[in-house]
Amino acid sequence: MDKIIRVALAGNTNVGKSVIFNYLTGLHQHIGNWPGKTVEKAEGTLHFKGYNIDVIDLPGVYSLSPYSLEEQITRNYIVHEKPDVLINVVDASVLERNLYFTLQLMELGRPMIIALNQIDIARKKGIDIDVEKMEKILGIPVIPTIATKGVGIFQLLEKLIDTYRRGATNRGNYIKFRKIIEDRIEKLVNMLESRGFHYPARYAAIKLLEGDEEIENEIKKLDVEIVNVAKKLAGEIEKITGRPCHEVIISERYEAASKIASEVERPVFSTRPKLTDRLHEVTTHRVWGYITMISLLVLIFYSVFSLGGYFSELLNILFYNSLEIFFLKLFESGIIGKLLWGSAEGVIAALTVALPYILPLYFILYLLEDSGYISRVAFLMDTAMHKMGLHGKAFIPLLLGFGCNVPACIGCRILETERERLIAVFVVTLVPCAAETVIILSLVGKYLGFQWALLLYLFNLLIILILGRFAFKILPGEPTALIMEMHEYRVPHLKTVLKQTWFRFYEFIKIAFPLIILGSTLIKAIEAFGLLQPLSIMFSPIIVDWLGLPMITGITLLFGILRKELTVILLSTLFGTTNLIEVPGFGPINMIVFTVVAMFYIPCISTIAALVKEIGWKKALMISLFELLFAIGLGGIIYRVLTLFI
Amino acid sequence: MSIGEASKRRVPLSALREGESGTVISILKGPGRGRRHGSARCIMEMGLTPGTKVVMISSAPFHGPVVIDVRGSRLAIGRGIAERIIVEIDEKNG
Ligand SMILES: Nc1nc2c(ncn2[C@@H]2O[C@H](COP(=O)(O)OP(=O)(O)O)[C@@H](O)[C@H]2O)c(=O)[nH]1
Ligand SMILES: [Mg+2]
Repeated sequence: MDKIIRVALAGNTNVGKSVIFNYLTGLHQHIGNWPGKTVEKAEGTLHFKGYNIDVIDLPGVYSLSPYSLEEQITRNYIVHEKPDVLINVVDASVLERNLYFTLQLMELGRPMIIALNQIDIARKKGIDIDVEKMEKILGIPVIPTIATKGVGIFQLLEKLIDTYRRGATNRGNYIKFRKIIEDRIEKLVNMLESRGFHYPARYAAIKLLEGDEEIENEIKKLDVEIVNVAKKLAGEIEKITGRPCHEVIISERYEAASKIASEVERPVFSTRPKLTDRLHEVTTHRVWGYITMISLLVLIFYSVFSLGGYFSELLNILFYNSLEIFFLKLFESGIIGKLLWGSAEGVIAALTVALPYILPLYFILYLLEDSGYISRVAFLMDTAMHKMGLHGKAFIPLLLGFGCNVPACIGCRILETERERLIAVFVVTLVPCAAETVIILSLVGKYLGFQWALLLYLFNLLIILILGRFAFKILPGEPTALIMEMHEYRVPHLKTVLKQTWFRFYEFIKIAFPLIILGSTLIKAIEAFGLLQPLSIMFSPIIVDWLGLPMITGITLLFGILRKELTVILLSTLFGTTNLIEVPGFGPINMIVFTVVAMFYIPCISTIAALVKEIGWKKALMISLFELLFAIGLGGIIYRVLTLFI
Repeated sequence: MSIGEASKRRVPLSALREGESGTVISILKGPGRGRRHGSARCIMEMGLTPGTKVVMISSAPFHGPVVIDVRGSRLAIGRGIAERIIVEIDEKNG
């Protein structure tokens, strides 16, 4: 039987973990979320030299202190799951910062090897690294790699097996702090070891001195005395140095990282093309930056909308013309036929949205992220997004929302904290997507004029701002300030981007399709059993009395949950005319009310599926319910205000 | 102002002009509690420990974030945080 080796990839963000992960695992991967968290979890497997290697791609982080969810996940995984070997992926072009994290990983005391990645970029920057010297200083294997070209990956695997075989003996030379600190660490280590604490003792001792609350709480359960002693020792260090203990420790680690970096780096002739620097300057410039950003976004949206619209229409025609006839032939007009056709329609609806809109927008999102452009946009839009308590990075997912809310929700993963992700997905579901734009244009735009459509659009943006601020105010927690590394621009690695797109798309499909099929079959069943009439009578207090709309529109809103544009399409069908303005009781005011309700009343079922995936059932339902009540409330108020004035 | 004045001046990081360099002196406590994202501790863990050299690269308009060079890497830092990082402007800037 094959032996199993459990391996974890750890490192800063954008160092090349995902490229290496994709290289190692190929198509044998599974993307999900960490249990109960909005952070992505990527796992995969490979066979090598008779071993089954399970690889996990840990979230990119800068420290092992629990500032963010990612950091908590990374350290808890390593401490509790104890992977057999850690692969620390290091960006050779930013060695000092990366080594700071390496030194912390070494404190955890797991067997570890370093993938010294991006040596091509380092060399362009004029840095060559003495790998042997680095190995000697750190006491762990260092393998130079260029992940995007697959260089060094084989050697990495060989070293991995080698390290695994040698087992726990290979833990490297962790850095020694100055004596006043080392002595105190030793004291704590002795105490911890005598109590048989399951944490790596040196790591726990250092974290206690740093005042890490999470670890204090865990150790309190074991022995309060240790925590008290640690506090006393930290106090002594503060007295001697005149600085907070955590500051002393962080500074010393950085000094050590800096020293190692300067010892192993050898300057070489820089062939660096100044292009990436120029690109950085232009794309963050106070004038050109915004111009570039807007042009790029207009281009993206224009192409996705026009191509997507065309493609979507094509798919529609294709499916309906071929399938519907086939279905009706097969089942005549029996009830089973109708129900099955309902399921089929669900699939068609899902496909005609997923393929032309969701898939390309996913691809663009990952392409932008991979190239490093997202961090420039975040920089440019930080001030504006702060008005809603979000930081600049939230701008991109919000923007994707105008195309389709689904990739936008998924895109919120790039945000820092759980709270921020929650605000962002909420705001995203309010953004008028392509389908909602169709409603606005084909109803208000067509019958009342373009300026009214524009007005409604602006009104929608205003609501987003107000509700965004509202969510920001009521949700507990503090807003996060921007502090992020801005990486060099890089040519995206197409294979990785395609894989990322595909696996995330696939994950979405798995959740969304069953939901969509269920929903559309259910609605067909309601229709087939003649429940539409009773239902619309049941809803009439809301639809007719409160919103002042014709009773039948309740039905279109029900179908709109599957796909928002169905609301307008069905209006024509149900009213039996394509000139809707002729319909009695559906005048300009009613159209506006109907459009407002259709924009806000509930995220479509695909978006709900994405919400469920990102924030769980409970919060997804809460957001949907809130928006339903909000839309109905707002619609009624607008109805009354408008009748008053017009 | 005279060159003597320009040296040894202590200002928030956000006050550095493009191309100016300085040394981190201290980080003021933020509004939040303890160890959250954006706390003094978190800023230090991103490499801005007292004594570190920083160079201002650019700043975004409308009171936006700044980009600095620190420890051979580029960091974008929100204005709120940049105002809490106190630096001493290097003499050779004068
Ligand atoms: N030139 C070059 N680019 C790389 C290398 N490794 C990764 N990249 C690029 O660096 C970026 C970040 O890589 P990724 O794997 O997403 O980083 P992660 O955040 O650590 O998962 C992507 O644009 C990659 O294509 C490398 O060795 N050389
Ligand atoms: Mg990654």
